[in-house]
Amino acid sequence: MLEALKGIASGMKTTLSMLKEPRDTYPYPEKRRELAPRYRGKHMLAVDEDGHELCVGCGLCEAVCPAHAIRVVAAGAEGDRTVSWTERYAVDYEVDLIRCIFCGMCEEACPTNAVRLTPFNELAAYDRKDMIAKKEELMAPPVRR
Amino acid sequence: MIRLTIDGREATVPEGTMVVDAAATVGIDIPIYCYHQALGPLGACRICLVEIEKMPKLMTACTTAATDGMVVHTQSKAAEKGRRGILEFLLINHPLDCPICDKGGECFLQDYVFQYGAGQARFEEAKIQRHKEYPVSPYILVDQERCVLCQRCVRFLGEYVGEEQLLMDGRGVHTVITNVPGIPVTSPFSGNVIDLCPVGALLSEPYHYRARPWNIEREETYCSQCPVGCPSSVTGRDGQVVRLEGRPTPGQWGWLCDHGRFTYDFGTHPTRLTEALLDANPVTVGRAAQVLGERLAAVVREHGADAVAILTGGSHILEDHHALRRFADEVVGTSRIGLVKPVESDLPLALLGTFAELEQSDTVLLLGTDPYESVPVVHLGLREQVRKRGLRVKALGDRHLLRETLAGEEWVVEPGGMAAALAAATAAASSHPDARRAAEGLDPADESLTGLGQALVEADALTILWDGREPDLVRALVALARARGDRATRVLPTFGPRNWLAAVRAGIPTDYETTRRILMDAADGRIQVLLLWGADPIRDFPDGDLAARALERCPEVYFGGVFPPEGAKLLAGMLPTAAWAEETGTYVNMEGRLQTAHGAASAPGQARPTRSILQTVARAFGSPLRRLDEWDPYEGTVEDRVVLPPLEETVTSVSRSEAAQTGKDSGFRLISGFDVAVTHDPSEVAARTKEERPARMHPQDLEDLGLQDGSGLVQILSGDRSFRVGVRSDPRIPRGRVFVPRGVTGVPINRLTTTDVAVRVAEEVASR
Repeated sequence: MLEALKGIASGMKTTLSMLKEPRDTYPYPEKRRELAPRYRGKHMLAVDEDGHELCVGCGLCEAVCPAHAIRVVAAGAEGDRTVSWTERYAVDYEVDLIRCIFCGMCEEACPTNAVRLTPFNELAAYDRKDMIAKKEELMAPPVRR
Repeated sequence: MIRLTIDGREATVPEGTMVVDAAATVGIDIPIYCYHQALGPLGACRICLVEIEKMPKLMTACTTAATDGMVVHTQSKAAEKGRRGILEFLLINHPLDCPICDKGGECFLQDYVFQYGAGQARFEEAKIQRHKEYPVSPYILVDQERCVLCQRCVRFLGEYVGEEQLLMDGRGVHTVITNVPGIPVTSPFSGNVIDLCPVGALLSEPYHYRARPWNIEREETYCSQCPVGCPSSVTGRDGQVVRLEGRPTPGQWGWLCDHGRFTYDFGTHPTRLTEALLDANPVTVGRAAQVLGERLAAVVREHGADAVAILTGGSHILEDHHALRRFADEVVGTSRIGLVKPVESDLPLALLGTFAELEQSDTVLLLGTDPYESVPVVHLGLREQVRKRGLRVKALGDRHLLRETLAGEEWVVEPGGMAAALAAATAAASSHPDARRAAEGLDPADESLTGLGQALVEADALTILWDGREPDLVRALVALARARGDRATRVLPTFGPRNWLAAVRAGIPTDYETTRRILMDAADGRIQVLLLWGADPIRDFPDGDLAARALERCPEVYFGGVFPPEGAKLLAGMLPTAAWAEETGTYVNMEGRLQTAHGAASAPGQARPTRSILQTVARAFGSPLRRLDEWDPYEGTVEDRVVLPPLEETVTSVSRSEAAQTGKDSGFRLISGFDVAVTHDPSEVAARTKEERPARMHPQDLEDLGLQDGSGLVQILSGDRSFRVGVRSDPRIPRGRVFVPRGVTGVPINRLTTTDVAVRVAEEVASR
């Protein structure tokens, strides 16, 4: 009996001492966690100063992706560099954000620095299909509020 | 034999072997760009440098023949330094645009630089800029910046094919690969330079930017466009075929002709059958099969099993032919099953030869067929044998069959006169009773034909390429084979369809008479349901009128296949089947060799494998086929070839009936043959160079007709029949003759009854 009371007392001691410590939880979404500067969240496709897409559709990100989350379909652009900074560009660029493990290998493999992982991490949808980010979506990088 | 040591390993090779090949025999890989066994040594790229003891400097392994006691080091410090230096030089002006290069990921420059190259370049100067994506033909782009000047492409087209259409232009660092200005590359073998190019300099335009080695399915297959069955690799991406490449195998270089290489997309052509039709109404394929099964059951109950006939077109896989055979035997119970082929004659299968036998022959006879047109890759093989060991080429035909790139001796005879000429030539050189029997009643051979007879009868090993025209030739060929006694006489049939020998393996009768009788019965109303499986009898059957009558009179004709046949309006139903590259299946090529081709794409729309459709039909009929997939196509074959029956034909005299016909003064004689350039499957990619004028005439004849620019549209008339056909000039067609290939949709030469025709210039109709 005495042993049991002792146990409760030592447990409560820890609990009560923690009341004075700062809180680890946040009242999301009113308040949001500060992320590390190189946090890896949702992908984006970058453009250069002239508005040309940096992605040339080489598919190296697709090759390196350990989760097979990326699909790239390339094509030749009509006219002189109308889409990307060279003749070749990506017609389709899809990232399956459910499969993605956010390892950042695509970013590392990209020879033109087109794929970048933004800190955006609010990934939720009601439909699996909405979790496959298409090229248009990746071209307009989301901003974390 | 020579013994040498390479990296401490002992190799034993025949005399004259290059060090690079000797190294390969003991599993040592020496990097090469310019060297190719088919083209011989050149030593242009210098990447294969190796250290050979007692030689003062590094040697190129591809131009140095192995000698006895030679000691070679491929991994020594000096050899590594030499390779590294060569790669650094190659990269001076290389653009390093791998991310946009189609070759990226399957490029020997990438691989070797990664394996042997220095990590960094020391050259800081600006790179020389040259043409990028420069089209030298509708199919080939040259990127001159990426070229390492190995000259494989130039030598392949110039020396191996004999059509010098690519050349080196400029000197020193300004050297580039280009075509003759203003003259595009037109060789039907041009696509091979894409496979040969070790770097990303020669690119396939249809495959440009399409896929990467890591996002494709690349499967071993065999080309589907002619009976040669060239080994190839098919590339599929997202369920569609996007490329076909040659695949070297032991004994074969892996060449393809452009007709085969660029027809890979026929499965997605707009005219492809992708939905089932019943009385021209679209239904599901399952429903159509169900209706077909019920109809067959009703017809068999009412009229007996023989009221159903099945004709295969010889394009489906061997497994499908086996299923059709069993469907006829076990489900329907009909004895009426046959093959629609575009020739009247039945090749004695005992004489069927192989490509290996062709390579061992000392004499080859082209009998009415120009391999350059009917089986293009065989033409390359013949040319190689002529160049390498002086193979003697003889040609006997109703037009000139030899060409600049294939020299030999030729005899041009009257249309329909090949059989008489061959029989007479054989009889002139041999006193064998069969030879004399075949030539009975024929004029004795003149002097020149005696020469042909002697060459054929006395050859040590003879291979004959024959396109199956003139049924009487069977007798002449058998007589020739008998006259030659024990020495090998082999025949390679150059006519299509691609997989007609699968019918032989599956036990479906392939003779002309069986099929003719089935069509006669259908035309006479003795057949209630005719099932065409890939067969297009109105287009292909030699008696087109009979085929048309059969399709008109038969109450119900069903078709299963890939492209709708001619006379599709007469059909009660059409079922779409899976095509080449859409399923794994076995083909039988012109050697009678079984070849298993794998799929890399998915069948579009509702197209389904034949066996699956037949199973549904059989179930609706009331007697499902059991254990269909347990059949092994290779069981009982010898060296993967179909078992050939012994030669049993009896020889009777060759008739002269057709040969005796003479053309009227103003008229033309019609001659025919096979030309894969115009008869390959419809394809949007290959349409770039598809010949729209299949017929050919002598340039002088064309000029006399008033077609000065060497091509035009003519009307060919014979009796009350006529058709229009595009014609172009070809000096290899004798004067007074007009060549029209067989099996061309919309060119019904099989509906003319005589070979005497009138040719008139037709007005160009501005339609389509």
